[in-house]
Amino acid sequence: MVGYVCKYTPVEIIEAFGETPVQLEPDSKSYERAESLLHSNICSFAKGVLENVIDKNIDEIVLTSCCDSIKRLYDVLKQRVKFIHVLDLPRKKDPEAKDLFCSEIKGFIKAYTAYKKRDFSEENLLNILEKKAAKGKKVFSESIAVMGARLKEDVVEKIKSFGAEIINLTCTGEERKFDVEPEGDLLRNYAESLLNLTPCMRMAKDRNILEGKRFKGIIYNTIKFCDFYAYEYAELKEKLDIPLLKIETDYTDAGSGQILTRVDAFLESIGMKKVEKEKVRSGYFAGIDSGSTSANVVIIDENKNIISYSIVPTGPKALESARQAFELALKDAGLKEDDIKIVVATGYGRVSIPFAEKTVTEITCHGKGAFFIDSAVRTVIDIGGQDSKVIRLDDEGNVVDFVMNDKCSAGTGRFLEVMARTLGVSIEEMGKVTEKAREDITITSMCTVFAESEVISLIAQNKDQRDIIHALNKAVASKAVSLIERVGRKGSYMMTGGVAKNRGVVSAIEKRLGEKILIPPEPQIIGALGAALIALEGK
Amino acid sequence: MDPVKFYASLIKKNMERPEHVKKLINFGLSFAHHYVSLFKDKRVPQSFHFLNKYCIKCVIDPLKHPQNSAWVNLFSPSEFLMAMDIKPLFIEAYSSFMSGFFIEDCLIDAAESKGISNTLCSYHKTFLGAGELGILEKPRLMIATSIACDANIPTFRYLSKKLGVPLCIIDVPYRYSKEAVSYVKKQLFEAASSLEEAFKRKLDIDKLREVVKTENKTRALMKEYLNYAGGKSLQTTMTFEMYMLFASHVFIGSKEILKFFEMLLADIRKAPEKSGKSVFFVHLLPMFEKNFKDYFNFGEKYRIAGSDINYDFLDEIDEKDPFSGIAEKLILTSFNGGIDRRVSRIRELVEKIKPDGIIQFCHLGCKQSMGGVFFIKKLASEMGIPFLCLDGDCVDKRNNQEGQNRTRLEAFLEML
Repeated sequence: MVGYVCKYTPVEIIEAFGETPVQLEPDSKSYERAESLLHSNICSFAKGVLENVIDKNIDEIVLTSCCDSIKRLYDVLKQRVKFIHVLDLPRKKDPEAKDLFCSEIKGFIKAYTAYKKRDFSEENLLNILEKKAAKGKKVFSESIAVMGARLKEDVVEKIKSFGAEIINLTCTGEERKFDVEPEGDLLRNYAESLLNLTPCMRMAKDRNILEGKRFKGIIYNTIKFCDFYAYEYAELKEKLDIPLLKIETDYTDAGSGQILTRVDAFLESIGMKKVEKEKVRSGYFAGIDSGSTSANVVIIDENKNIISYSIVPTGPKALESARQAFELALKDAGLKEDDIKIVVATGYGRVSIPFAEKTVTEITCHGKGAFFIDSAVRTVIDIGGQDSKVIRLDDEGNVVDFVMNDKCSAGTGRFLEVMARTLGVSIEEMGKVTEKAREDITITSMCTVFAESEVISLIAQNKDQRDIIHALNKAVASKAVSLIERVGRKGSYMMTGGVAKNRGVVSAIEKRLGEKILIPPEPQIIGALGAALIALEGK
Repeated sequence: MDPVKFYASLIKKNMERPEHVKKLINFGLSFAHHYVSLFKDKRVPQSFHFLNKYCIKCVIDPLKHPQNSAWVNLFSPSEFLMAMDIKPLFIEAYSSFMSGFFIEDCLIDAAESKGISNTLCSYHKTFLGAGELGILEKPRLMIATSIACDANIPTFRYLSKKLGVPLCIIDVPYRYSKEAVSYVKKQLFEAASSLEEAFKRKLDIDKLREVVKTENKTRALMKEYLNYAGGKSLQTTMTFEMYMLFASHVFIGSKEILKFFEMLLADIRKAPEKSGKSVFFVHLLPMFEKNFKDYFNFGEKYRIAGSDINYDFLDEIDEKDPFSGIAEKLILTSFNGGIDRRVSRIRELVEKIKPDGIIQFCHLGCKQSMGGVFFIKKLASEMGIPFLCLDGDCVDKRNNQEGQNRTRLEAFLEML
């Protein structure tokens, strides 16, 4: 087998040699070895490829000079594998670019012929290209497009499993179909047809790949430390009138749960995943929000009155905490489990709750709950224990857009908990600080670990504790405001989740927004309330 | 209150009024120019004093006269602009000045909130943020090369579409070949006609030859300077070493830069013999990082021995056929191609300058450079020179861990 990564690789030449080209798709769990050979801040895909090449002893690789990370990957692999070749890939496709790429393809053929001690036959190439002849253009239906950087096949499959029809327009999703002129210089014609593939973001040509196509929604993928596609996302976000979801993947399995939550919520918000509506709705309904910090339960009656609620800290076993919270709420309401018609679960632990009939993402639930409390709400800021989200609602209370923080805990409840511990104060005390005492300090690191050492050095400098707390509250606010900017500002605002109880953070966000934020009487139960309402309404 | 921070807070408060911000930035730059002209720091050698004033002016000119300016990146072939009397604004310089004004965080946040990647190089994010906030006047044209990094083309393309300004992309192949030279040469012809069209003036080929001739003369002086660099102790700072980028790239070919190198050569010839320890930098210098400033600015114990980015191309450009000559320069820079090219250049420079240590400050987002860190480390170890790799950001101060960096830097300097 010959490993390759870029779609512009002359895969058909490899086939013409009688070899099997395999597009490398990293599946490493960590980048331990890759990070000792390449820097840790290099694109996670390049690191993943390096890790896999070492793991699987891949000894023939063909690369292109497609990006800085792959060029450095080539430098590293050059000394480690039996055969490696990099083709200089021009970004343009004028006649000079075609000449250049054709000469690069010839260079590769020469190098591989020498390595394999086997001749190359143009006839073989022609046969292969004929089998891959382009047959008219694809017609796009009302489906979901996946765009942006390459996306792991298993993530695509998981998206499909939610019931959505997917059109893969990512950089490597295109089918290899060619329209190569058999007459004349075959290799030059082949080079030309490769350069004519839909341009990726690295190429000079502007790409309008959505022109003439209509989708129900677009899932836009970017890869950690690969910056190319974020530019296109920023452009599309501004001009597209169809729902757009951005996800960031990193070629390890970590974080795929969070990504699937987003995809799930996105499909819910655009009506691709519907919850069946039941005819008779009477009795009591429960919503369970199994979060990273607490398990919250709300029980409502058929008239949407809140009968009882409970908040129980999440212990080592999410299910036990959820069960405990459920029982507590039942007891408060004076009800038995059988009295509850439908239970809907949400939150991170939602899939592990066996007594729930349905699961709905916390994004939809927080939107639902917040709009129920106040129908003027258009932006929900939910800062929980391990993630923060900003949810945009339309005039009917439907979720129309949302953003979430990335994998790290920057700007979340956990961040504040760690800092409270470092400062030796309670989280409640931290929340009371809404103004600076002596000086306006700014915490520059958003990473929890680095911010902690920054706080330690502020303590060492004998800074007023209230000023440090004020700075930390501002840091969380700044992260939240940056999420708000990503969906665009629109009032009224409501804050939900545990951090909404922190007056210091709320006031820092209000200062940045120049607007008041509504805080519900019990901000931690809004997700569970939304789930209970969905149980009642069936949507 | 610190006057610079007061100035920064004034700009930030006005961010929603771009016209005010433009005026404030122009005022700040003009003030800085007057200040350095009137109050010369006695420690600064004549040549750097001259360069300091010239660099500030090079940023002021295009901002004040946008109708006669083009936006470029560090590696753009600005010889054409000089021959046509067009003022280049190179985006890396603009971003550095904004960091010097302490407003980079605001510009970076503006870019990121639009969806631009948070792992993108902050030189680019700062400039993109300025474009987003409308605090830059539109130029007539933009010219971007694909070297030295991936960010150039998408950043310029994004801004070109957003602002409706034509863009000229020069794609520089990875390896040298006759096809590669023809490919770049043709693009240079196209760039020249785009300039003629945008600025409604003709390119005089003799003027272009004159610029190239001056560039060659300057490079000869640069090489002579390198002969002295190892044995002498010239008083310098992180900022001056970064100002050298104006002299080695965008403005090389100008009479002023030729004069600067003549002055620099005179300064180094009369400088005292080497004392203390010298450190050679790979790629960029973190000129706003306090620890580095404390140790290296006018340092007696430790001094800056240079950086490889200022000596990425040391050959002559063909004066008779400047299009081919410039095309070759672009392809052959040590910042293009495989890492071995870069390693060889660093080896040559280190052999000449004989520093006591090497530091690579891995600027967050710069994959082309940080990706080679282990090769440079290996080179340093082969040459028996202590090497330090530090991670941080040359523009966005929020990404620098001052405490950790201090410990590492001090331990390294103790090793020397």
